[in-house]
Amino acid sequence: MNRAKRAGRWFVDRVEDRSVWRHLAVYAASILLLLLFWEVASVVIRALKGGREYLPNPILTIREMVRLGPLLFQNFWISAWRLVLAILIAFSTGYPLGLLVGHERRLDELISPMIYIVYPIPQVAFILILFLIFGIGHPVKVAIVAIALFFQLLVSARGEAKQISLEHITSVISAGASRWQVYRHVILPATLPSILTSLRVSVGLGMAFLYIAETTGSVDPVRGGLGSFIKNNMYSTGQAFAGIIAMALLGLCLYIVIDVIERIVCRWTYTARRPL
Amino acid sequence: MIALRDVVVEYGRGVRAVRAVDRITLGVPQGQSLALIGPSGCGKSTLLFAVAGLIRATEGEIRIGGELVAGPRRDTALILQNAGLLPWKTVWQNANLSLLLAKEYPAATADAVLAELGLSDVKSRYPSELSEGMKRRVGIARALSTSPEVMLMDEPLASLDTLTKERIQDLFLKLWARHAFSFVLVTHDIEEAAFLGQRIVVLSPRPATVKAVVDNPEMGKLDYRESSAFRAVVFRLRAELERGA
Ligand SMILES: Nc1ncnc2c1ncn2[C@@H]1O[C@H](COP(=O)(O)OP(=O)(O)OP(=O)(O)O)[C@@H](O)[C@H]1O
Ligand SMILES: [Mg+2]
Repeated sequence: MNRAKRAGRWFVDRVEDRSVWRHLAVYAASILLLLLFWEVASVVIRALKGGREYLPNPILTIREMVRLGPLLFQNFWISAWRLVLAILIAFSTGYPLGLLVGHERRLDELISPMIYIVYPIPQVAFILILFLIFGIGHPVKVAIVAIALFFQLLVSARGEAKQISLEHITSVISAGASRWQVYRHVILPATLPSILTSLRVSVGLGMAFLYIAETTGSVDPVRGGLGSFIKNNMYSTGQAFAGIIAMALLGLCLYIVIDVIERIVCRWTYTARRPL
Repeated sequence: MIALRDVVVEYGRGVRAVRAVDRITLGVPQGQSLALIGPSGCGKSTLLFAVAGLIRATEGEIRIGGELVAGPRRDTALILQNAGLLPWKTVWQNANLSLLLAKEYPAATADAVLAELGLSDVKSRYPSELSEGMKRRVGIARALSTSPEVMLMDEPLASLDTLTKERIQDLFLKLWARHAFSFVLVTHDIEEAAFLGQRIVVLSPRPATVKAVVDNPEMGKLDYRESSAFRAVVFRLRAELERGA
């Protein structure tokens, strides 16, 4: 009990409790505003298209979401799990490798040409080949997203590692840092804020790749993830939109998680003196 | 004891080689201080980095306590031009960086050093929350944290206002008296050289050679800045710097 309380206080200290409520209020206002736009767009399109429903209105969509609740929820979890797993795999491999390549000049000369040749090829191009070789199972879908994000994080980590101020490196080396400690105490923290930004970009990108992975080949409306769910309901707009909104919610959840992580691990960036 | 013999430092190789330091010989006895002064770009930082073991001398030898310098040494602390603080570490972590890197938990003396430098209240702040003068003091605290024999400083107080600078200089003299290290101070501030150097070496424009050596035996006396001896040294240094320039 006491322990939980202390953990709670630790957490709140780190996210600055006063701003949490503000954030929630801003989010609520934004959601309301977006719903309003949506409603207006829906009405306008219906009027232009002679009364046919192309863009379902928010109320209808929410009602569909509730009606399809369990099925939608199941697919939500499948997609979320795939996306998070892919991001974790890409982050834990692409980030360190990018830092190494960016900082160690020899390695850079060796590996960067390879990266530049492979990176611009759209990884989705391999999707069918991967499906043919490995089948359309869960691992292949995760792998496709992970590969795409891996390159993205690798390239940005490499760029960030190259921009590190030599002064910081000199300062820890003169304080006796080993090679590994230079990474641990300078290169890693110096690149962390911008890598978290790349990670946010990755969420959007990963979502797009996941959609492609989940809609290529056969679609399974029950266990195929949100992509399959949307594609399968393409012609009943209310249901398709329920799936789209679920995807938006998934993205939002991940952004919030990244924000919270950033507040905890990049605390120093919130202390700088900023002009008004 | 620091001893340099015929030290040459060059950047690059072959036809593109740039000689920054040219056959410098000098020594600093244990517990003594030396100020290096010279025009911008003459090779002061280069020489200091070589003594710190961060870059290799192309020719000649550098010894600290009789041992050849082959890399950063535990008994030598370096203070960089802008204090070299890490923005993601608190004042306390920055000040005790060397100890933390060596996996030694800073002893009670660490807090004493921070107190000596008037930093106790900002221990858990980040560098971005400090004034420039405070940052420089954190740099000094870091250097002191390992109780070094030798302290090397590269324009540690550059671009501070005169009063803040003088206050830190006074503080530094006190620390020097108490902790008994030898130090080499690189500066382009004539008064600073005259205030903190028991011996002042004037360097020529690049490549740096020893242009003149000015002894400053009365350095460290009470109210030295107001004395005529201090004025005389400042005057002499100015003349040496301007000579042939
Ligand atoms: N990496 C490098 N490659 C080639 N030349 C260099 C390099 N670093 C420094 N130099 C040259 O060496 C000379 C000495 O540089 P150094 O930084 O030691 O000067 P300094 O006396 O500390 O100058 P300042 O007072 O402006 O700090 C300069 O003329 C500079 O152009
Ligand atoms: Mg310099």
